[in-house]
Amino acid sequence: MKHTDILIVDDEKKFAGMLSKRLTLRGVSCEVCYDGNSGLEWIKKYSQAVTMILLDLQLPDIYGTQVMAGIKEINPALPVVILTGHGTENDRKECMRLGAHDFANKPLSIDNIIEVLEQIKGNPGCD
Amino acid sequence: MRLKKQPLLKAIWPQFFFHKHNVHLNSFYTISNYRRIWFVCIGILGASSLVPLVLATMIHYQLIQQSVDSELMLRAERLTSNAKRSVAFFIDERLDALTFTVNEMGYQNLSDNRKLKDISNNLKFGFGGITDLSVIDADGRQIAYAGPFDLEGKNYKNQPWFTQSLKTINFVSNVFTGYRDAPHIIIAVRSRTPDGSYFILRATLDIERLMQMLLSYKSSIHTDIFLINHQGVLQTPSTNFGNIFSNTPLIIPGFSTRTMVKKTTEDWDGTKTIIMGYSYISTEMADTPFILIVRKQKEGVMRAWLDLGRTFNWIIGISGVIIVIIITLLSSFMVNLLYTADEIKARTVLQMEQNCQLASIGQLAAGVAHEINNPLALISETAGYVKDLYIFGAEPKDEAEIIEHIDSILEAVERCGTITSQLLGFVRQFDIKIKKINLAQMLDNVLSFHTKEAEYRNIHVTTSLPDLPLFIETDSGKLQQILVNLVNNAFQAVETDGCLDIFVSMIKSETIEIVIKDTGCGISTENLEKIHEPFFSTKKEKMGTGLGLSITYSLVKKLQGNISVESTLGVGTIFTITLPVKIQRGNLA
Repeated sequence: MKHTDILIVDDEKKFAGMLSKRLTLRGVSCEVCYDGNSGLEWIKKYSQAVTMILLDLQLPDIYGTQVMAGIKEINPALPVVILTGHGTENDRKECMRLGAHDFANKPLSIDNIIEVLEQIKGNPGCD
Repeated sequence: MRLKKQPLLKAIWPQFFFHKHNVHLNSFYTISNYRRIWFVCIGILGASSLVPLVLATMIHYQLIQQSVDSELMLRAERLTSNAKRSVAFFIDERLDALTFTVNEMGYQNLSDNRKLKDISNNLKFGFGGITDLSVIDADGRQIAYAGPFDLEGKNYKNQPWFTQSLKTINFVSNVFTGYRDAPHIIIAVRSRTPDGSYFILRATLDIERLMQMLLSYKSSIHTDIFLINHQGVLQTPSTNFGNIFSNTPLIIPGFSTRTMVKKTTEDWDGTKTIIMGYSYISTEMADTPFILIVRKQKEGVMRAWLDLGRTFNWIIGISGVIIVIIITLLSSFMVNLLYTADEIKARTVLQMEQNCQLASIGQLAAGVAHEINNPLALISETAGYVKDLYIFGAEPKDEAEIIEHIDSILEAVERCGTITSQLLGFVRQFDIKIKKINLAQMLDNVLSFHTKEAEYRNIHVTTSLPDLPLFIETDSGKLQQILVNLVNNAFQAVETDGCLDIFVSMIKSETIEIVIKDTGCGISTENLEKIHEPFFSTKKEKMGTGLGLSITYSLVKKLQGNISVESTLGVGTIFTITLPVKIQRGNLA
């Protein structure tokens, strides 16, 4: 499979779709998963073929931090950026402890997302 | 320049007297009436210290009075007895002398003026106190006379003393002036002439001698000692009642053979307590018309004692005042301490309640942020995408697609609008006091902030309400806070796939019951007893303040309701609240 820049894990289908379309327009390749388990399954398969994960916390099946822990088990070096509607201070601490690359609240400008991606691409060994 | 209040002055200054009524703060005071406590404090302390003092003083005073009285009465009795014996002996001795003279000399010798003069001189020499002697026959004629006055040949037939002296063997008269015009006493002894008729040997006694004798018994200026006759006429001068022959206002005491003492109060010359001793004077030879009176003024005699008593009273009085002042200051100090501590506590609890209210608003804000941020993100991305379509020109501008995107933006905006209006309605409840509330609506409102969370965590929320709309008239802000706190608690307790059931029912015509049942972690039996204590929390590591349930308990009480809890560890918890349909306004804090 060809390399994917960002995997979006978010249950807000419209939002994920829009973000995906916009990133694609900017030359960023995207994949979308709408719940935690399907996200983890995708990563198990393609953990070597993705640059970064954009992960929501409030997911319908399992909580974002659990997904995060799962990702780190599969590939500890994979950068995970949390993008959530409302993340509490506790969530932020927990995610940073688990090794998140960054933590951001919605809404986040697309330029910021690309900036982070570029940064990761520029420093592949940063995580 | 204003003087700064000293700490000591501040400590004893009764601040609670100037307690300002504060509706929000008052319900948090443990004690509502500090003035009453202050008064009770002073009353009890004052009574317990002053009553024994006053009682002891009164008993002491009574004892002193009694001992002073008995001492005085004893002294008066002794003085009266001694003086009476002397007076009686004086008269008796002279009556004895006359009797001896009559028996020894016989009528012949006595009726001889010359011999009578010799006898008179011998008697004066031997006994003293005799002024003259005379012999009077049964018809009152003076047969012989030996003395300094010119009384020879006088007839005493009509004199009262003469007729009385004929009736008895020995006779003692009142003091009177008679022919000689000078106060004197007559003593007379009756005998018979050789022809068998009565004659009388009469002697007049020197009143001066008697007066001197009485004066010798007068121990102080507060003691009055004198003789009166049975009619109350003075027979010797008295300090209080004037000269000889003056009438005394004294009530003639009843006859007694013994010396008597009594205590009386007189108020004709200022109120005085008088110890009065008296004795009827009678001799072995004859009764006399005299009563010996001894009067002691208690105030005068016992002045030193009474002065001491007065000083003592002053000391007790001043001590009492000092004790009252100290008790008042001490009570003020103690009650102040209590009041200050209570005030700090009340302010802290009020602050806590406000903080808790803020915390529940904060929790709400968190929920709201989540609810709003998602649509906002969608708006941002959709609008961004439409813009992208024009900038990148990558895809044909299909109008139907653009309208679809704009619709999705509008839908998201509407979602935000609903949430903000819900929030506004919710927050407004905190300001409004008592009003009629649709319970179902309020419950929906409260639960709406947890919809998303329930969805994510797959928590089954069910509400069961009666078919008819249920209205309750109460403090809506407080009720809302109670529901928010309990629902928040339940949400924190349940795991994914848990259940939260809320039942509302009318249990009596005036009472509503709200049951909030969760299938959460439950509360252990020992913790169940502590959950309504402030600062008790099992969620310390999760930033629990331990105030939620304690505030909920106090809020339910303020709404005149009751709250109970049943819980089994690992099974779940049931909170049951009962509230009156209509709150009694007067009792609302």
